[in-house]
Amino acid sequence: MEGLAGVASGEVLILMSEDHDRRAAEMRLVRAAQQGDLLAFERLYRDNERKVFGLCFRLSSDPALAEELTQEVFVRAWRKLSSFRGDSAFSSWLYPLTLNVARSEHRSRARRDARVVATEDPERLERTPRPPAPEAGFDLEKAIAALPKGARAVFVLHDVEGRTHEEIAALLAIAPGTSKAQLFRARRLLREALVS
Amino acid sequence: MTCHELDERLDDWVDGALAGAEAQAVESHLAGCAACRERERQLRQLLAHAAALPRSLAPQRDLWPGIAERIERGSAWSAWASWHTLGIAAAALVLGLAAFLWNDAGPRAVRTVAMPVASPSLRAVADTAVSDPVLAAAAREYEAAASALLEALQRRRGVLPPEDLARVEANLQVIDRALEEVRQALVKDPASPELNRMLVATHRKKVDVLRRVVRLSTAL
Repeated sequence: MEGLAGVASGEVLILMSEDHDRRAAEMRLVRAAQQGDLLAFERLYRDNERKVFGLCFRLSSDPALAEELTQEVFVRAWRKLSSFRGDSAFSSWLYPLTLNVARSEHRSRARRDARVVATEDPERLERTPRPPAPEAGFDLEKAIAALPKGARAVFVLHDVEGRTHEEIAALLAIAPGTSKAQLFRARRLLREALVS
Repeated sequence: MTCHELDERLDDWVDGALAGAEAQAVESHLAGCAACRERERQLRQLLAHAAALPRSLAPQRDLWPGIAERIERGSAWSAWASWHTLGIAAAALVLGLAAFLWNDAGPRAVRTVAMPVASPSLRAVADTAVSDPVLAAAAREYEAAASALLEALQRRRGVLPPEDLARVEANLQVIDRALEEVRQALVKDPASPELNRMLVATHRKKVDVLRRVVRLSTAL
């Protein structure tokens, strides 16, 4: 047992050491980028683009818009880079920034749409027309894309990204109870899609 | 507990958020209700499916050129302003080196500022003469960065106006000669802390100049 415990703790130490090395290398890139080094910033972009694009895609359910949002996230990140102190991983620092960009884009898009469509039914702005596929070929991505915006965001953050209701509440500036209610709404809609 | 009451608690149940009597009530209802067990199975299947979705997705195209363009557009003015200080910076660097070497090694060293750039083998030998291991590592990192930037600049030669390119090359030659000067001095006196620091500072200056030129070229 002691041998196994020793191996396990050794592996943990190696992982901690690797994580430390990775964070140190990342911080060197951040410092260089803070001094204006665009090549260093490109490395940071390459290391994080998939996570940011993945989140943008699931929040917007539109690949072309997700590309625009991803670009906007990194342009804003460059401008705000001086505020990054290295207290967390760079990807953690990008996370709320990504959510803010996605949400502000949605608000401005909704305002643009509101100018050209009738708004007797405000829920219309939250609905996407694509029906989800049946269970046999159930496409969860499409079903998530068909969720109303608020429920979709909470479902993605909680059940895909693994965030807690408290974290989601802080990230989306909503109450934890609202996060919970939106999650249950999303799950109910997805379950209905699953059996339809 | 009715099926409707269970349905209202099902999410909390699968999230493990129920305890005590509530958890027991749900458990006993599920044990005797096939329809609710099926709903529970569907929800757990859905959550397993969601948790298995990849968090990272690759965009269909390279988004970096658009990002770099917007960043450079935003800083094009400041890059232009600093462009005109490049020559002054390089000249100041050489004057500083000349003054140092004059005081340290006498007039002969100053005359060697005009020496041709040394061969790569001499450069390798000279840099290994850096006595401070931290500074030696820094010098190697700067050299690697300078090589990468030179490659980037080489790819964008056609973008820069010929007269600006000529100025850049002239400035780089000045810095390279200064680097060579310090390397030569280090071969004779590898323990000199001033020469060690001077080598790293000169490398840094070269990298700074190259970075600014590459940034400017991508803004054009």
